[in-house]
This record gives sequence, C-alpha cells and structure tokens, in this order.
Amino acid sequence: MGKRSNWALPYIIFMAIFVVAPLLLVGYYSFLDNEGALSLYNFEKFCTSYDTINTFIYSIGIAMMTTLICILIGYPAAYFMANSEYGTPKVMAMLFILPMWINILLRTLSTVALFDFMKLPLGEGALIFGMVYNFLPFMIYPIYNTMQKMDKSLIEAAQDLGANRRRVFRDVIMPLSMPGVYSGVVMVFMPTISTFAVSELLTMNKIKLFGTTIQENINAGMLNYGAALSLIMLIIIGLTSFFGSDDDESNETGGLL
Amino acid sequence: MKHRISAFFIALVATFVMTATAQNDRSNVLKVYNWADYLDLELIGEFEQWYEEQTGEPIKVMYETFDINENMLTEIEIGQEDYDVVCPSEYIIERMLRKNLLQPINKDFGPNTPNWLGNVSPFVVDKFQQMATQPGMQVSDYAIGFMWGTTGFLYNTRLVKPEEVESWSALYNERFQERILMKDAFRDIYSVMVCYANYQDILDGKVSRDSLVANITDQNIYKVEDALFRAKKQIAGWEVDFGKERMTQEKAWINVTWSGDAMWAIEETAELGVELDYVVPKEGSNCWFDGWVIPVYAKNPKAASYWINFMCNSENAVRNMNEIGYVSVIGTEEVMDAMTDDEIEETYDLSYFFSGIDGADSLHINPVMYPDRSVIERCALMHDCADKNEDMLEMWSRVKGNSLDTEMLTFIIVVFTAILAAIAWHHFKKWRKRKMRRLRLKEFTKKMHDKGRHI
Amino acid sequence: MKKFFAQAYLWLILAVLYAPILIIVVFSFTEAKVLGTWSGFSTKLYTSLFAGNAGQALNDAIFNTLFIALVAAVISTILGTIAAIGIYNMRQKERRVVNFVNSIPMINPDIITGISIFLLFVFLGLSRGMMSIICAHIAFCTPYVVLSVMPRLMKMNPNIYEAALDLGATPFYALRKVLMPELWPGMISGFILSITLSIDDFAVTLFTKGSSGIDTLSTFIYADARKGGLTPELRPLSSIIFISILTLLLIINYRANKKVNNNK
Repeated sequence: MGKRSNWALPYIIFMAIFVVAPLLLVGYYSFLDNEGALSLYNFEKFCTSYDTINTFIYSIGIAMMTTLICILIGYPAAYFMANSEYGTPKVMAMLFILPMWINILLRTLSTVALFDFMKLPLGEGALIFGMVYNFLPFMIYPIYNTMQKMDKSLIEAAQDLGANRRRVFRDVIMPLSMPGVYSGVVMVFMPTISTFAVSELLTMNKIKLFGTTIQENINAGMLNYGAALSLIMLIIIGLTSFFGSDDDESNETGGLL
Repeated sequence: MKHRISAFFIALVATFVMTATAQNDRSNVLKVYNWADYLDLELIGEFEQWYEEQTGEPIKVMYETFDINENMLTEIEIGQEDYDVVCPSEYIIERMLRKNLLQPINKDFGPNTPNWLGNVSPFVVDKFQQMATQPGMQVSDYAIGFMWGTTGFLYNTRLVKPEEVESWSALYNERFQERILMKDAFRDIYSVMVCYANYQDILDGKVSRDSLVANITDQNIYKVEDALFRAKKQIAGWEVDFGKERMTQEKAWINVTWSGDAMWAIEETAELGVELDYVVPKEGSNCWFDGWVIPVYAKNPKAASYWINFMCNSENAVRNMNEIGYVSVIGTEEVMDAMTDDEIEETYDLSYFFSGIDGADSLHINPVMYPDRSVIERCALMHDCADKNEDMLEMWSRVKGNSLDTEMLTFIIVVFTAILAAIAWHHFKKWRKRKMRRLRLKEFTKKMHDKGRHI
Repeated sequence: MKKFFAQAYLWLILAVLYAPILIIVVFSFTEAKVLGTWSGFSTKLYTSLFAGNAGQALNDAIFNTLFIALVAAVISTILGTIAAIGIYNMRQKERRVVNFVNSIPMINPDIITGISIFLLFVFLGLSRGMMSIICAHIAFCTPYVVLSVMPRLMKMNPNIYEAALDLGATPFYALRKVLMPELWPGMISGFILSITLSIDDFAVTLFTKGSSGIDTLSTFIYADARKGGLTPELRPLSSIIFISILTLLLIINYRANKKVNNNK
C-alpha cells in the first residue's frame, strides 16, 4: 500500500504531544505517594481496596449492559433509517443527536424530573436508562453510516443464489455491518465507565461508578491516587481492546471469503 | 492550494504564539476568583470606580468562578495561575498557609482611604487565628473572612416535628426511612458525627468539641463510620447541589446541609407554600468560614488588598448578604441594624458576634443566619485534615457503599465468557480455513504432479 | 406494513429521547427556580434571559462555546479523516498500537484528560487560554472522527484510489474527487459528534482555561449549579437553541423532499 500509511503522521505527532505526553505527566503523579517519593503505593492501595475494585467491576457491568442495550435498540434503528424501503425522512438521523446539544447536566436533571413525574424510582434502572439515553446516538451513527454504503449488488447476488430474507441478513448484511458495530461499541463502552454526572443525579449518588471514584479523589486533593486509578483503568480496558481487535483483517475482506 | 494551506498553518501558529504570550498591562487588571453566585455583581463596577477615585489609577476586574476548592488549589499550586484575590474555604486557607502559598495583605491604604478591615467580627478573627500553622503567625495578615455559617438539619415543618430533629439521632428514626439527604461533604459530616458519637464525653467535660473536630484519630474515624453505617437505611442519597430541589418538592423531608443553602431553600419554598426550617442539633456541629486571600503568584497584590478592603465595608457586606443569602463576617452596628427584623418575635443573643454593641444580646434576627450564642457554643471549626485526609476519604467511600451484587457479577461473567467464546470460535474458524486451504493446495499440487508424470 | 412498524419503532425511540427535552421546554414557561415545580405560566425567564441578567457573561460564554466547537470540530474532522486513511493502510501491528493510543481520550475520564493537558502546558511553561482549550478539544474529538470514518473506509473499494492515480490524477485531486465523496457521510458524522462533544465538555475546559477569563457555556453552567441549582434562565436558552435547530432541520428536510419530488 506504499507510503499512504504516512498520512497518519500528522495525527500521530499531534497525539504524541497532546495525548501521550500529558498521559506520561499524569502517570508520573501516579507513582508518587503522599510524601512525594517514587513508589507503587497507589497501585498497592488499589489492589487491596475491596471497594474500589468492586466499583470498577460494577462499572464494567453497567457499561456492558448499556452497550448491549444500545446495540439492541440502535441496530434496528440504523437499519430502518439506512434502507430506503422503509421511507424514513433523511434528517431523522440528525434528530437522534439533537438532544445531545443540550447540556448534560440539564438533560439529566430533566430526566430526573421525568422519572419523578412518572412516579418511577431512581436507582439502577434509572441509571441504565440515563446511560443508554446519552450514548444511543454514538451507537446509531457508525452503524447507520456503514449500512448506507452497503453494496446492494452483494445482497442481490445472495438473493439470486436463492437465499431467503433471513439468510441474506445473517450472512451478508450482518457481517458487513460489523465494522460499524465495532466502532459503536468502542464509542459507548469506554466513556460509560468514566461518566459520573449521570450516576450522581439519577441515583442520588447511591450508586458509584469508577469515574465518580476518580473524580472524588481528585476533588479531595488526592491527585496521585486519582491518577493511578485512571492509569489502571486505561491499562486494563486498553489492553483488552488491543487484543480483541484481531477481527480487523477479516473485515477487510468482508467476511465473505 | 498548497500555498493556501501553508498560509493557514502560519496564521494558526502565529495566533498560538500571540495568545500564549499576550497580556494586558497587568497593573490595570485585577483577577478575582470566587465561588459562583457568591457576590453582588454590581459591586464589581462600583469597586472599579472606587479604586480609581482612591488611587487615581484605572482598574479592570476579571471575575472568574470555581466550584471545587481542591481544583482551584491545584491550579494555583501546580499551575501557578496568577489570580490576585481568591476566596477559599477555611481548611484550604489553612492548607495554603502550610504550603506557603499566600502573601501578606498590605493594609496600608494611605491617609485618605478608609480602612474597613477592622469591621470583621472579633469572633471570626479568633476562629481564623486557630488556623495558624506556625507559632507567632498572625492569620489575619494573610486572610480576611467573607462569609460563614453552620451545618445542620434542614427539615420540612409539616412532615417533621421540631423535637425529632433536636438531635442527630434523627438519622436513626425509622420514620424517616429513605427521606434524609446527606450532603456529600466528608469533612462537614465527620465534624458533625464525631460530636454525636462522643456526646457523652462532651457532656462529662472529658473532651471539647474543638479538639474533637481538630484532632482526627483513627478511633474517631471508626466511630463515625459505624454511626453513618447505621443511618444508611434512612439516607436517600448523597447530594451536592440537588438537595434543595428535592426538599422543595417534598421528596426528601430532611437534608443535612449548610445554613446558607438552608436559607436559600427556606425562601424559595416559602413562595411555593412549603415550610422549611433549619436547626443545629444539640450534640454539636461545625461552623465554616471562607475568606479572601492573596496567593503568592498574584501579579496585582495592591489592587487585591483594596478589593478585600472594599468587601469589608458594611454596606457592601449587607448587599452581598441580600444578594446571595449567606451571612457576612462583618460585625458592625450598621450590619446589625440592617439585618434585624422586628417582625421576628423571638430575640437571640448575638453579643459574641456583634461584640461591644448595645442590644446585641437580644436581637430580633433570623436565627438560621445568625445562630444564638447557645447554638454557636456547640459548633467547632473544621481544620485541614492533612495526613488524615486519605483515611477520611476511604472511610467515606466505604460508607457510601458498593453496588456490586451477585446478579451483576453473573451478568458480567456471562457476557465476558460469551465474548471470549466468540473470539475463540472466530480464531478456530480461521485456523480451520487455513488448514483446509493448505490441504486443498497439497492435493492440488499432488494431482498436478501425478498428471505431469503421466504426461 | 413493514414500513409502518419501522416508522413506529423509530418515532417511539425519538419520543422517549425527547421527553426530557419537552420537560425543559415546558418548564421554561414558569418562574419556579426548581425544575419540576410549576408556579403558573410566565415568560419571565425569557425576558430576564435577554435583559442580560447574567447578560454579558452569558453572551461571551455562548460565543466562546460556538467558536471553540467549530474550530475544534473542523480541525478534528480533517485531521481524523486523513489519519483514518493512514491507519487503514498500516500493517496490523502498527495499526493496533495507533488504535490503542487513539482510544485513550475515550477511555480516560474527562477530568484526567483535562488535568493531563493542564500539566502539559505547565510543564512547557505556556499559559492556559484559548489555544490550550482548542488543542484539548481536538485531542478528545479526533478519536471519534477516526472511528466514524473507519467503517466507511473498510467498506470502500480500495482500488478506486489507485485507479484515479493511474488515470493521471494528483494524490490531492484523487483525495478530493474520489476518496472524500466515499467518506463524506463518515466525515459528517464525525464532525457532528465533535461539535456535540465540544459543546458538552466541562472538565477538560475547566482545567485548560486557566485564568484567562474564558468561559464556555458548560463551565458557566456548572459553576452555577453548586450554589443555587441551575440558573433557571438556562431553560429558555436551551429551549431556544433546541427549537431553532429543529426548525432548521425541518426546513432542510422539506427542501430536500421538494427537490426529489421535482426531479420526479
């Protein structure tokens, strides 16, 4: 493919300065204990802290649930919007992201008001609702885009070869839309763990997510521990996605061959 | 096209350099860093006028707001931001003193300018002096108070009887299950609960509230944690700013909060027909303060000290109080006259605050804003937790609790295994494909080989 | 019949999504400070919004928010699209590394991203201000652009670019006329997501704005929330923003439909 991989160079340089270097600076703080000496104190603290690990695993659970629900709701939505046979207006996609332009605090507070109005209890259910509410557009958009450009001839070819509707969907449309789903999963799963405004308001802070823990520590002046916690989260989640993205090369060939 | 792109980038870099280095003439600018909604904003313009009158120099105030003390401290300590005058909470002032981040306030305003710094109530000056981090340090050289208050129960008078909230044990009253909102502020709640947990010792004279709140011991942390755990059934949530809203809507009946917040809520709900009141329970509580300080990185300390002076003026103090609903540290007769209200039937002893002024021992004044002597005697000053900070935060974390239950855990494990299985299946398919291909290739070359022989 | 179910499904979701927004709009017509209590119909909040109570500061905050969002989104989209093309052409090992670094701003909590860039500028001795805010916003928006463009790249026929080059086009011309039309929907998605993220951001802007006096709508709102609850004037403000964009969308839709009908 030649030198085209160099096109990523400007962004790589940008990331080196504005993502990697700052991360190293924050990482430096995570290796300082409370007296300012270099040590693994913060990491030991995490490993021995039942609460924090508990919160971390719980947050992963919430993120998984949110992602799954987003896929369940978002995939059909994207499918209906991308296929002209359903006659959806073109601007419908924009309508999904419009609520996001209202400030998150205001949005969440009015969700609380909505729950109060409908006499629904706040708590875990409300939390999941709030999370899905906030991240659904991030799932719909990539899937929608992928489906829009789906090569119709492939579908026709499958139909010509005698596949019924379900097979066409399962063996042609679904695999081809996977890159979009993958993007969506990444854009929903990862930020969910670090979002705290939603859990603070929709559970009255009774349910804590990992992002809240980090926030709490930094707001209480424990910058070192907060930095360590976010570094740990980065490593665990980053590495799992690092090894999980093996599927990329199969997507290049569309999974048909 | 290429030229246009390079021109664009040059312009971008130029703007970068310019904005990073540009500064107005700094002596004409005063950077103020205060809490949001914590000032009568009209005073800013009036200060600019007053400053020019007094010094003959023009001044422009850049007024900025923050919401978390510690983040403001990070900006100043690590970022060395050049705010001229800042209004932190008392424990952060103590921390800044300890870290030598403050410069003394120049109190020499010349013969023609009035000096209102003495308007601060001696009661407050004494409390501030308790924060001295070195022997011989005069805290009032570095910090001048702004507003103050207490922590207590904000409660709904229709749903809660006053007798029920006389004591912090209301937290264990099962009638209030899921009806109490706690402020998510571990320092204040600790101060309050440590008085509750050691009440017998206080009554016996074995220990004072001041020392209980100032000296944080592991044993007391444990006692407080235990006390809070037992209250969890009644606690509906841990709020920072939405407590007032839920009280207004009567979703919560009691809110452990600060007196300033309580004032806001009482006034707001009165318009809606909901009656709230505020009380400091008998076991004790804390009294909190905030104050103006000048960080060492300030570039205009002269204007900063004039600002602090201006804020201590009695009339300005009253205006601030009326605008934001909190209580000023200024203890002059003008303030006393402005804040007394003959419509209030009872009288309260505020002689500790408006010291030396006639009639201060029986004022018709709002007791939520100005606690009676009997109330203030059971309030202690909070200190910077210093090295106990970490333990306190951990305790607080444990109290607020964990949400991981078996259902969620099984869900996670199921999803995780499903993903692993999917990846394994995927790799298996690839491996099998490759194997099939290799086999087929082998057969094909073998066939070709055989055919070649026969031909 | 299929059509009916599909449409019903979509409109149902939208109804749920817009219910809280409806509450904001409805309660912008009442004076009560607390969201959720109704103290009678009144347009007082609208008049006080324009009378400039929080006036000048609010106007500045709105302007800053839009300026930062537009600049950051444009730069992110360009940077991210070109980067996506580059990443797509990398070998698997390199690609994995770059993808990982790309996802860092998405994994990290906002406050860490904010503090990290704050530390960067402190370390470099540069003062915080408009530039640091924009750089920070680009840093957390570009990953979303990359993720929006990537799926389109993967669906695209890789040979058309080569074909264009073979036919004599310069790389830049081929980029404009061949690649961009293919990637355009992904780019638009990424652009819109960037603007959304930038407008909503609070923690990053908080730490990167320094003492420069710049406030965005979010920092303006959040600072307020602690003391007296959200400024009630926010409700009419959000309602106005919301209704105007909605109207804009409907107009675009109407005109697009007209074009289609005319072409028929």
